[in-house]
Amino acid sequence: MKIERSSEWEEGFINKLHEHGKWDSWTLYKMNYDIVKMKLIPDFTGLQATKYLPNLKPLKHQLEAAETVIERMNGKAILADEVGLGKTIEAGLVLKEYLIRGLVKKALILAPASLVNQWVEELNIKFHIPAVAYKKNVQIERHDVLIMSMDTAKKSPHKERIYEQGYDMIIIDEAHKLKNHKTQIYEFVQSLKKKFCLLLTATPIQNDVFELFYLISLLKPGHLGNYDTFQAAFSASKHDLEHDDFLKELVNQVMVRNRREDTGIEWTNRRVQIIPIEFTKEEEEVYNLLGTLQNTGSFSMITLQKEMCSSKEATGLTLTKMLEDNAQPQEIEGILAKLMALEVNSKAKKTLEIVEQAKDKVIIFTEYRATQIYLQWYLHSNGITSVLFNGKYNKSKRDYMKHLFKERAQVLIATEAGGEGINLQFCHHVINYDLPWNPMKLEQRIGRVHRLGQEHDVHIYNLAIVNTIEENILALLHTKIDVFEKVVGDLDAILSNFKESV
Amino acid sequence: MYPQQVHSYLRQFFNETNCPILGEDQHYLTVQLTVDIDKRIMNRPFYWQYVEATNSEANPAQVTFITNQTASAGNLYGEAIHFGSPRMNQLFQATRELGAYVQLFEKVDNEIGQVILTPWLGVNFKVSYCCDRTKETLYSFGINLLTGIIKEDFQETICTSEFDTVPADNAFHVQYIIKPLRALERLHATIEQIIERDDHSWATEAKKRWQHDQRVLDYFYEEEEEKPECYDIEKKALEEQYDTKIKIEIINGGLFYLY
Repeated sequence: MKIERSSEWEEGFINKLHEHGKWDSWTLYKMNYDIVKMKLIPDFTGLQATKYLPNLKPLKHQLEAAETVIERMNGKAILADEVGLGKTIEAGLVLKEYLIRGLVKKALILAPASLVNQWVEELNIKFHIPAVAYKKNVQIERHDVLIMSMDTAKKSPHKERIYEQGYDMIIIDEAHKLKNHKTQIYEFVQSLKKKFCLLLTATPIQNDVFELFYLISLLKPGHLGNYDTFQAAFSASKHDLEHDDFLKELVNQVMVRNRREDTGIEWTNRRVQIIPIEFTKEEEEVYNLLGTLQNTGSFSMITLQKEMCSSKEATGLTLTKMLEDNAQPQEIEGILAKLMALEVNSKAKKTLEIVEQAKDKVIIFTEYRATQIYLQWYLHSNGITSVLFNGKYNKSKRDYMKHLFKERAQVLIATEAGGEGINLQFCHHVINYDLPWNPMKLEQRIGRVHRLGQEHDVHIYNLAIVNTIEENILALLHTKIDVFEKVVGDLDAILSNFKESV
Repeated sequence: MYPQQVHSYLRQFFNETNCPILGEDQHYLTVQLTVDIDKRIMNRPFYWQYVEATNSEANPAQVTFITNQTASAGNLYGEAIHFGSPRMNQLFQATRELGAYVQLFEKVDNEIGQVILTPWLGVNFKVSYCCDRTKETLYSFGINLLTGIIKEDFQETICTSEFDTVPADNAFHVQYIIKPLRALERLHATIEQIIERDDHSWATEAKKRWQHDQRVLDYFYEEEEEKPECYDIEKKALEEQYDTKIKIEIINGGLFYLY
């Protein structure tokens, strides 16, 4: 085994002896020794970062994840813990470790716009890393750790400036947005130099294991050939263990995934209820009338029906827009008139019931701004205070709304984007007023409250109006969830079998 | 290193290198750098080339280092510095360069009368076992340049003593019999002996991990006669990652005349 001896010091020492030159100070000599001692890596395994983060108490699974990424995966990994387990902490530990060891000098973090501020806070306060959010007058070159929204980064001129910087480490939050390789953002990330790279996502796959292909290809380009040959090779040989073993190997080489049940932490339960609701005769009439509209132009029938299941306010907005476009003004006007004449919103009524019975804080998720505003008014007229939460709010407004929800209001009404990135463990009732098409969205919504720190069982109410499109959505969600669970089950089997064999 | 430690480190460094501190509170420090320190830590070689080429007046930087960004008032304009930031590493590098060679005489109380100071060579070594993981050990040796006796943990023994760059009036320092370079060789030999006797199963295990990863890589490119470029890139990356070697580095050292 080779032993490398550096002769640098010796040469300098010889010079000093001969020149009778100026020697160094005892203080600086001691400082030098002390720093080297402090930065020493005393073991092959284990993180040095925790020595310098006294206020951070990472959980066992978080430390293990960070160690695995550094020791086994050489800093290129998919962090795929379930929602609420602290992927940000794991990523922060890895980044801090590499910064301390001098292996990373510049790092770029790409996240959805709504999460940028949260990253800034976490890195600065928990990890003492002076991360800065990119804004209009921020000079990219001046900051070693930069956080930018994915939407901004993929466009010129930012794209080019990022290439120029030569970041050592790229961290991407909500990396499932990269699943589609035909997007601008995927191509952008693909062409970035990735010395170290972390992809964070709670939902790395949705429909089949092969979706992993694109994420893995970002970290190990070329290994899997192209998507078609990959799928052909592994579908056909499901019974060929050798093929599966190597695929398992590859997945385990790049992915870390913790599930709630593995963390050894006691989690509270989720109690999901489907609440069926019946339209009044009048509501039903309007709903059916919408179904008869022939020429909806650029607006889809499905959208209208879904909006009708939400509120007349949401539906009315769309109908009014259609009027401006359309060639059938009379039909639409007729429906609008009946719509506006409606006095009861059955779903809102049911919602009120649930809120009153809960006698506790409740979050309501809706897809429509118009419904959001209506619900606030409706609840208020029944003596219940609420605060709104939207994607457009800036950091201080979001913090303030969260504060109001905690201290004053009983209800928080959030739109989808508003739901990203806030942690509300003090609440344990969630009403899905409108159901999303994508089950991942449900998971993300529930993840706002069912996370580390939640002390109660979490009650989830999925509202669906019978005999409408919502019944279809519900059925579809269940199918997709089953598929998801099976596929994730497949994924977890791949990962756990590996663990057992090690 | 917590913010307070970063702060004291900066203060101590700038004091020792004669950079006047112009302003300070708990969370920041404004310092006027000297030309030498500016060159060592500010990373602007082109500016200095320009100054030297055009014979202009040198204008070393004045910098405000914010040692605790979260605790400080938001309106400070300066550079946030923390353990792990590149600037901090540059400071450590500068400390390394400026604290590498010493010749020191132990301070002795005047009252005692004539004293004799014995010459020692003290050297601090860092030994690194490197593969895809790293393990480092510090060794501090002192060798008596009269008797040839080697002492371990030398730095720990002397770090609390007081030294001067010239001998005290009542002290007589003996000239060394064993030449310092010869003594250094002996210390190198001692280190190599320690390494030889050590357990190196870490290297065999690294090799196993390497072979394992190489097998997986080969599997995925089995079909291809002509391996594409990315195969070679990955193969080279694996090689660099797992290559085992042992590095011996001298951190600093010097002549110590001890009482």
